[in-house]
Amino acid sequence: MATDLRRGRLTPLGWAGLSIGAAIMLAPLIWTLLLSLKNNAELVGHSEAALHGPYTLHNYAAILGNSLTLRWLLNSTIVALGTTAGVLILASLAGYAFARLEFPLRRTLFVLVLLGLAVPSQAIILPQHQLFAWLHLHNSYPGLILPGLIAPFSVFFMTTYMRGIPRELDEAAMLDGASRWTIFWKIIVPLTMPAQSTLAVFTFLGSWNDYWWPLISATRSDMYTLTVGLAAAQMNYAQTSGLGYLMAQAVFASIPIFIVYVIFQKQIVRAMAGTAVR
Amino acid sequence: MKRAAAALLALFALGSCSRSDGKTHLYLQRFFGECGAEYGGSTDIAKAEGECGIITTMIDRFNAENPDIRIDVNVVAWPGYPQLTAQVAARDPPDLVTMHEGVISDYALKGLLEPVDDYLRQAGISPNDFTEAGRAGVTIDGHAFGLPWDTHGGLFHVNTALFAKAGLMRGGKPVLPNSADEMIAQARQFEQRTGKAYLIQSNVGDPAYAARNLYTYMMARGAVLFPDARHIKLATPVGVEVATFFRNINAQHLGTLNMDTPAAIAAFINGEGGIYPTGTWMIGSFEQEATTPGRPLYRSYAVFPYPRLWGQHVEFVSGHSWVVPSRKRSPRQRAAIARFFKFMAAHNYDWARTGHIPAFRAVLDDPRFKALPHRDDIASLASIGRPLPSNVQRQNAIEGIVGEEAVAAFTGQKSIERALSEAERRVNDLLAQVD
Repeated sequence: MATDLRRGRLTPLGWAGLSIGAAIMLAPLIWTLLLSLKNNAELVGHSEAALHGPYTLHNYAAILGNSLTLRWLLNSTIVALGTTAGVLILASLAGYAFARLEFPLRRTLFVLVLLGLAVPSQAIILPQHQLFAWLHLHNSYPGLILPGLIAPFSVFFMTTYMRGIPRELDEAAMLDGASRWTIFWKIIVPLTMPAQSTLAVFTFLGSWNDYWWPLISATRSDMYTLTVGLAAAQMNYAQTSGLGYLMAQAVFASIPIFIVYVIFQKQIVRAMAGTAVR
Repeated sequence: MKRAAAALLALFALGSCSRSDGKTHLYLQRFFGECGAEYGGSTDIAKAEGECGIITTMIDRFNAENPDIRIDVNVVAWPGYPQLTAQVAARDPPDLVTMHEGVISDYALKGLLEPVDDYLRQAGISPNDFTEAGRAGVTIDGHAFGLPWDTHGGLFHVNTALFAKAGLMRGGKPVLPNSADEMIAQARQFEQRTGKAYLIQSNVGDPAYAARNLYTYMMARGAVLFPDARHIKLATPVGVEVATFFRNINAQHLGTLNMDTPAAIAAFINGEGGIYPTGTWMIGSFEQEATTPGRPLYRSYAVFPYPRLWGQHVEFVSGHSWVVPSRKRSPRQRAAIARFFKFMAAHNYDWARTGHIPAFRAVLDDPRFKALPHRDDIASLASIGRPLPSNVQRQNAIEGIVGEEAVAAFTGQKSIERALSEAERRVNDLLAQVD
């Protein structure tokens, strides 16, 4: 299938269909970008003013002029990277254990992990908030990162991937005297890199875009993540009298995600196509 | 690896830094947005514009005038109540919070807010200094639970050029109706002579619009909306009559349909209708249009409280206030809160420049206030304004439910009786769940 596409076997109708689809997908993004480059006052009466100049970077200057914006950017980066690193480590270790090791209640524990998939995060938000309050972890990086490490899907994902790696590799390494840790670290982990990168991308994106938990855990503005900080910076009637600023915020917040996407495009596409687990 | 771990720990530590500067710190949490880029560090309140600019400058000015106190500001995403609730649950609430008066009961009746009577006394402020609407908005069982800061409610924003074209101007002022029948007659005349809608309405995604109309005109008819704190009464002959009036407006195409708030604002700014009933908060934007040559509203803008169509001239209003969440505080912090109240009361005029009605009687009589555009025409909102009963909880949620059902009744999506009955049932179910 992929080979066929590379050979350019799309018919003109196919190209037309894809072009229309791409245009439909791009239109709101371009509209957002154009709105972000317009003066707010111009947009109050006529949002179609975005279709012609003059354009200005004033809204972006206002975002960067806020002394806390860079702090929020740093907070989001620390939280997203911390969560991603933690999930990769825990999910890999747990995945290896469930895929390779024999220990009491292994199946039961795995089922319990899978049950975690059925529990929506909103259902546990109150006890979770209470727990973090008792531990005095609100308004701290651990408070923002630790809940993200509860990742049953990631454990399931890594377990499934590791089960697909032939056991003969482990056995050969054991015959050569390798320990469990050496096998995990030097043989299994390198073989799971495609899955690790896919998981990393999705965990990073999820953590970067998270709004609900940071909203109630980071209640001091110097600990806001970018999503919460930008929302707090909005005027009350942003959708009417501050439309340009609102759109500039949306563009600004998505730039890091865009960069991640450009760098990890291959992994994301592979993950979307469901081929990363092969 | 070790270096990375050390760096990570250092960054974690950043989040728990504390300062020791000998000052009394108050932790203030507010909405109204962030505009530090434009106003950060400025203490010239007179030069500040808009809610965000004025409040930012006022707090900076307080800090500058009170070197022994430091207000640490936390700006929250609108409206900030999920965060406040989370802070209360974590036993770490702020010292001062901006709160809509309709929300005070949610916290005060659970003991989560301090009565501020002592702070007011220390600040030399008497509840008699407040406007009627302001005092009613913060008082529960005889105690003030906040410093009222403004009154806001619905206004009839009028395009006077279109009113002139419709023959509805007298002595340079728009002629507003004095009864429901007169309003329908005016609307027909307006529509015939201008070809445009008499009322611009935001019926989509704006439940507050319809709720405001229903509350206001049911109150005007003397209806008791809440016979007690746990029940609402809407499905009454008065409720049906008010809803029928708005249904007639829509059925006769005298008002716009299918507009959300941004669309309605754009329509009014672009001269597509005669009256846009929306809040005090839009005065600044519309006045800007009215003073910009070439714009459809140029020199063609006036604004008034909702007209009296039945019974008494009263109007549903709400307001912003400063509240003090319950927590342990030092005597110095308590004294600092009183000084903050005194400062804010002294600068209530500056806040009134936002378009909101002041919460202090003295400001209503202040020549500076009267000299602001349109303020003389709308000042009566402070005396005719009626908040919902202060012992009723969940007023925001109730407004959402009532507005949703009222829109359905006004636009014909549901029969009026069914919509009002369902609003009643849903609100009463909600109130039954309140602790």
